[in-house]
Parts: sequence; C-alpha cells; structure tokens
Amino acid sequence: MSVATAGQPGGALERTGGGGAGGALADVVETVLDKGVVIDAQVSIAVVGIQLLEINARVVISSIETYLRYAEAVDRMSIVPKDQKTLPDLIDGAAGAAAKGTAVAGLGKAAQEISGAVADSVRDRGARRERSRRRDGED
Amino acid sequence: MAQDSGLFIYGIVPSDVEPTPDAEGVGSPPGEVSAVRHGELAALVSEVVLEEPLGRPADLTAYERLLDGTAEVAPVLPVRFGTVVTGEDAVADLLDAHHDRFAAALDEFEGRVQYTVHGRFDEQEFIGELLAASRDAAALAEQVRGRPEGQSREQRIRLGEMISQSVELRRESENRELIDAVGRYAVADAARAPSHEMDAVHVAFLIAEEDEDEFIGAVEDFAEQRRKLIRMRLIGPLAPYDFVSAHQLVE
Repeated sequence: MSVATAGQPGGALERTGGGGAGGALADVVETVLDKGVVIDAQVSIAVVGIQLLEINARVVISSIETYLRYAEAVDRMSIVPKDQKTLPDLIDGAAGAAAKGTAVAGLGKAAQEISGAVADSVRDRGARRERSRRRDGED
Repeated sequence: MAQDSGLFIYGIVPSDVEPTPDAEGVGSPPGEVSAVRHGELAALVSEVVLEEPLGRPADLTAYERLLDGTAEVAPVLPVRFGTVVTGEDAVADLLDAHHDRFAAALDEFEGRVQYTVHGRFDEQEFIGELLAASRDAAALAEQVRGRPEGQSREQRIRLGEMISQSVELRRESENRELIDAVGRYAVADAARAPSHEMDAVHVAFLIAEEDEDEFIGAVEDFAEQRRKLIRMRLIGPLAPYDFVSAHQLVE
C-alpha cells in the first residue's frame, strides 16, 4: 500500500501516493472516473444495473464569469508587485522578465501582440547576463 | 428476477494474484475482496447489495486503493467503476469471452505503473508575468484597478478573456514541454483534460519499473524550473487507468 510522501525537502514537486493517499476526493474522482474497461452489453453476460450516486467530473469552460473573476484578481493585486517594481517599470520591464526566463514561450497570443517587446528582450539577453556576471561574479 | 446481491468487479489480473486479507472493497460495511479465476486470468471482485447505491467517497477510495495497491505488485486492468455482474458464473463468462485480449493487455502492463503529473499555475504569478509581458494587458489592468465593475465591465471582460486565452495557450505549451522533457522515460503518455481553470499541466505516463527513478528525477527537474509559476504534483504509482482503452475490448 502506498502512502503519501512529501517529496524532497524543499523540492518543487509534491508527491502523492496512489490509492487516494493524499486524502483528496477530487484526486480520486479525477483519477478513476470514466476510466477502465467497459463491459459491453454485446457480451452475453449478466451485467446488473446498479444505482450509482451522481459523480460529476469538473468540466472547465471559460465564461464571462471566469473573465470577471480574473479581472477581480488583477484588481486585488497590489499595484506594486512583490518585487517592488513600480508599474512603469513593469511595463518596460518585459525585457527583464524574459531575460530571467520566466516569460518565455507559451504566452502565445499575448506574446504575438507584444512581439516588439519580446524581440527587444531577446536582444537584451546576452548583455544583461554579461552585466550580472560581472557584478555577481557568477552566472 | 429479484436478486439482492451481485459481484462488483474491480479489475482483471493474472491468475496467480491473491488479494491480501486486509483488502477492503466498496460498500458499507466494506465488502471482502476475492479473486474469481479462469484460465490465466482472475477478476478481483466483492459482493455488493444491489439496493445500496454506490459511489460514496469511501467507495471510490476503496476501488482506487485496491487497484493501485495491486498495480504495485502485479499488472492489473482496471474495470470501470460501477460494473456489477450477477455472480461468479458471469465473471467466468466475461474472462472466457475476452481471455486472449485481456491476457495480452496484462502482458503489456507487466512491470509498469501509471504516474499522473498535475500542475496548477499560481494565479498571482501568472497574471503578474502576463502584465509584465503584454502592454495591452497592463493597460487594461490599469483601467480596471480601483474602478467598480459597473464602470469597467467591458475592460474587465477583455482583460479576463486575455488572461484566459493566455492560460490556455500556456497550458498547451507546458503539456508539450513536459512530454518533451520526461517522455523519454515513459512507455506511453496520455494528456488529460484540465480539471481547473488554472491547470498548467495534466498528463498521465506509463512507466516501466526500471525507469521509475529517472522519470521521477526528470519530473522533479521540470518542477524545479517552474517552481514560482506552477505548483507541481506527481500522483502515483497508480493502476494504468489512462492506458486502458474503453473500446479496445469490445470489437
């Protein structure tokens, strides 16, 4: 029988054993629902219809409600983010974020819309690394 | 035909698999799990009362615990939750009708287990990155902040839609990158549908025993590279739920 494990101390990966060991019903439902061999009525065996409690998998559909909730999250976010940059810095700082490798591919459409900023950041990359290496003595 | 009990089928295993005495099945009180054997195969079953509806949290957990526990020691084909037949004869008929196909599938799962990688974006971090990378989003954010919804509804919807699309695109690329990064340690992979708006990755992998450590190491590296942005979880070892095709056995 497997048990829940926390993963490596300080590690970024959280480990959960099988058998619903994490104790989260959502995990169990997600793992087993609508999976497994279906015994079809074509086979001439006696399948008994039993009463199953309704179990709904969550289906993710984006809607206006979702959009408004995201906007609400933006509204709640402090204008000065946790790294203490001011908003103008943030907007101009797209280069910085990309150079750090956090705003890489995958922003997709958004990234296309700001292709200028991304291109700048790519050009800036080498230079920024150079500077930080000189300053920190390491990359 | 009034019948008041049936056999709940958990999964199909090789005939040398023996349920442990402490194995607990579905139902209340939990049913006693036994094996019905036929040829090279056996089905793990327990008796259930037909009047009692199944699907309580405890039933689902018992079902998964039995299958995952079995998968750690022997190959197992999960049978869909809720499959109940009239009795041992019906189980034997089922195993007989599909004997070779079940046996071949079990051979394939010998020494292999499923792991599911599930990651979720940190909402604040994700939105922060987007606002930093997109002038359009940042401009909308400025128009939204501190203004009541009634006065900024249109901008809110546009900003929210931008965030939502960005999540979807980023999810696609993260799933692809995960498979690129760790797929070489897997026998097979199967993308799973997102279960939350902020889902970042959700992929099931079939892993051979001898590759387990390397696979886990690769997932740890992947998680480490994204630790600020994505809360990454590794669930398993599991029975191969995502690698049993529902229809492969019915043609």
